[in-house]
Order: sequence, then structure tokens, then C-alpha cells
Amino acid sequence: MVEVAVVASLLIAFGIGSNDASNALGICIGAGIIKLKRAIFLFGILVFLGILLQGQKVMKTVGKNIVDVNMSIVIVVLAISAILIIISNWRRLPLSTHQVIIGSLIGAAVASDSAVNIVSIIKIVVSWIISPFVAMGFSFLLYKTLEKTISKFPFFQIEKLLRAFLIFSGMLISYNTGANELATVLGPLMHSGIEINKILLFSIASVMVFSGAILLSHRVIETVGKGITTLDPYSGFAAQFGAGGCVLFFTFLGMPISTTYCIIGGISGVGLTKGISTVKFGLLKKIAINFAVTPSLAFLFGYLALKLIYS
Amino acid sequence: MLNKIISGGKLEKKVIENIKIHLKILCSATECFKNAITTGNKESTFCVADLEREADSIRRQIISTIHEGAFLPFIRPNICRFVEMVDEAFDILEDAAFEFRYLNNEIYKLIENECAKIAKINSEICELLSIAFDSLLTKGDLKEKNLAIRIYEKQVDDLKFDITEKLRKIDIKNFWDGKIITDFVYYLTNLSDLIEDASDYLYIIEVSLK
Repeated sequence: MVEVAVVASLLIAFGIGSNDASNALGICIGAGIIKLKRAIFLFGILVFLGILLQGQKVMKTVGKNIVDVNMSIVIVVLAISAILIIISNWRRLPLSTHQVIIGSLIGAAVASDSAVNIVSIIKIVVSWIISPFVAMGFSFLLYKTLEKTISKFPFFQIEKLLRAFLIFSGMLISYNTGANELATVLGPLMHSGIEINKILLFSIASVMVFSGAILLSHRVIETVGKGITTLDPYSGFAAQFGAGGCVLFFTFLGMPISTTYCIIGGISGVGLTKGISTVKFGLLKKIAINFAVTPSLAFLFGYLALKLIYS
Repeated sequence: MLNKIISGGKLEKKVIENIKIHLKILCSATECFKNAITTGNKESTFCVADLEREADSIRRQIISTIHEGAFLPFIRPNICRFVEMVDEAFDILEDAAFEFRYLNNEIYKLIENECAKIAKINSEICELLSIAFDSLLTKGDLKEKNLAIRIYEKQVDDLKFDITEKLRKIDIKNFWDGKIITDFVYYLTNLSDLIEDASDYLYIIEVSLK
């Protein structure tokens, strides 16, 4: 049955690759700064480096600090998460991998009467709520700093700098995909007590992320790239780098947070520099609803699935 | 390392170098036209058409390099528009050279001085535009160049007014003489307007990344 958990986690990793490569490098590819194949190769390497160098804290939070995991919980959680994520990708519904995994993890733990660490859960929920606002602040400050500093350079030098900045922020998001996103997926597996070669698992998971990116990400990248590249490069960079910095900050704290929501926060932060009226409150309302619905649904599925197994 | 990852750099350099060449050719064309007007040698205006053809092929290179991926997409339309405006200046200069060859000398004699002055200003204004473009690379004061171009353009407008005043007093007996002289004056005096618009676009390009 361990194989089910491993396969499910690798499927989720594949899903991360197909979806999140666009978060990382969509802007750079759309802007023609880097070629698609080269970008995906770079993305794969950085995802592996992220999980290897900085994935431990998030893996510990998800796999150890929230609930006392056992093999049946891990299998149920990862299988349900994989199914939900695949369905949501197919139906094009915006689901956060973190929220699905953590919601179903708590649901399964409650159903199996395992210990649940309320403090850890509160910390995670608070991280989810405040992270977009932290990204908003980072991006706002970064945009203001850019306005005051590099705008003094000659035009063509600014253009060159912005190209380098955009690729750097894309690399940061790629690194975070490994350090935070993939770490959330592998956390329950790493701390389930099974004998597993860490480096081998990281390598295979990174290869799955890379495969998802190479096989399925081009469409999403094209959509994101073409949709976003008409943005002014200052805004694109400030939003992306602010979000990347925010995710990295929470990764240091061991908190699993969503890059997508941070990017939305980052874009709102850049918008704030032009006035409060630019912030789309309708979108923020949708996100708030998502915040409540996704983990609750995942909790319910996790709970019911484990109850079904035990009965 | 970063340069190896990023596929940019070469294309941008190519575009910048070609725009410089494009502007230098425009300066040569206006200089050649000025010499033709001051010497009254109508045959020597054929150099304008030759230079316009050369500039056309440079323009095509610039646009295709931009479409290959030079520069961030956000600023590409403005750079393309600037290049198109310079190209329009070439077209109008070629039209002026063409009309010059068919002018009625008697009528032209009346406005020859003003036309020579305008041709001289056109040559200087193009030099200024070339310097203004260079200031995008070196952080020179683009506003100052913009202002100088506007002053030159105003001088051309004043001269155009003088020419119109003189031409209104003439009794034109032949339709073609009238048409050719009016077209010639229109093309000659409109070049500075196009250069002024192009310099405004340079300013737009500069502030687009501020």
C-alpha cells in the first residue's frame, strides 16, 4: 500500500510541474527573455535544489507537527489530494495544493483519532491569511524602491537590468516550488515512518515536476506569458519578486503557503502604488471564499475516506 | 553565466546599432538635399532616393529583429513606432526631392532663400534627433534635445508662413506650376514636424521604464 502513497505524491508533483512552471517562468518566456525548453530545464534544477536545501522545515511542519501520521493516513491523504488536484486541473478550478493536502490530513487524522496539534494548525491558517498581505507589502516597497533607484539609469541599461531581474525572480519562484510546494507534498511521506532514500525520493519527485512542466506546462505558460507580458516590466518584477521573497520568508519559518495567492498579493501591492482603487476587491472576495471552501472540502473528503476504510 | 541563460543582448545591440545607422542615413539624406538646394543642382537630389532605399532595408532589419524578440514586449511598440516615424521622414524628404526637380525656376527664385534656410534647419534637426537617441544610451538630457528640436520646428513654421505670404502674391498661370510648388513647400516644411513627433516618441520610450 506504500506504493499508492508514493504514486499519489508523484502524481501531485507532476501536477505541480504542469501548473506552477507558469508561475515561475511564464513572464520570462512570454517576454522572450528565455526559451521555453531552457526555462523548464532551469525550473527542474531549481525545484530539486529547493527541496534538497530548504525543504526540511516545511516537510516537518506538514508531516510531523500538524498530526501524528501513520501509513493509512498518508495513503488516504495523498490519494485524495491527487484525485482532487487532477479533477480541479481538468475542470480548471483554482485549488491550492497546500490547502488540499493539509485539509485532508486533518480530516483523516480526526477520523482515525490521531493527535491533532491545534497550535500548528492555527499557525498555518494564520500564514495562509497573512502571506498575501506580506507579499503585498514586499511588492509595494520593492516597486517604490525601484522607482527611486534604477529609474536614474539610462533607458537601455534599465531595460537590460529588468530582464535580469525578471529571470532572477523567476528563478526564486522555481526554487520556492521545490522548497515549499513540493515539500508540502512529500512531508507526510517523509515522516510516515517508511524506509525511504531521501535523495532518491527528491530526485524522482523533481523529475516528475520537470516532466509535468515539459509535457503540459507550455499551454499555461503561453496563456500566462501572453496575458502578462504587456504589463510594464517594473510591475511584473515587483509583483513576482515580492511574492517570491514572501514565500521564501515563510519557507524559513517552515510554513506551507501558496505561491499563487502570494503573486495575487504581489500584484495588489503594485496596484496599491497607483491607488487603492486599482485593487480588485471582487477577486480578493473570491480568494477568501476559496480559502474557506478548499480546506473544508478536503477535510470532509479525508474524514469520510478514512471512516470508510475503518468501517 | 546569466548571459548564457538569458537569450537576450545580441538582438538588442543589433537593433540599437541599426537605429543609429538609420538616423545617420537620414542625416546624410537631409545634408545631400540641403547641398542640392543651396547649389541649385537638381540632378544631385537623386542621392536622396538612393539613401531612402538603403534606409528602407535597415528599417526592415530593425522591425524583424524586434519581432525576433529584441527588448521587453512592453516597449517594443514604441520603438517600432519611432522607427516608422523616421521612415516617414525619409518618404517626405524623397517627395520633396522629387518635386524640386520639376519646380518652375521663376517661381522658386522668390522663395529660394527661405527654402535653403529650411533645408539647413532640417539637416540640423536630424543631427539633433540622432544625438537625442544617443542620450537614451548615455543618460544625456533628452528633455534639452527635445526642446531644441521644438525651437527648430518653430523656426521652420515661421519660414513657412513667410513663403506662403510670398506665394499668395504670385499669379499662377499653369496648374502644374502651382501644384508642384505647393507640394514642394508642404513636403519641405513637414519634415521638421515628423522629426518633432519622433523626438516626442523618444521621450515616451524613455519615460515608459520610469
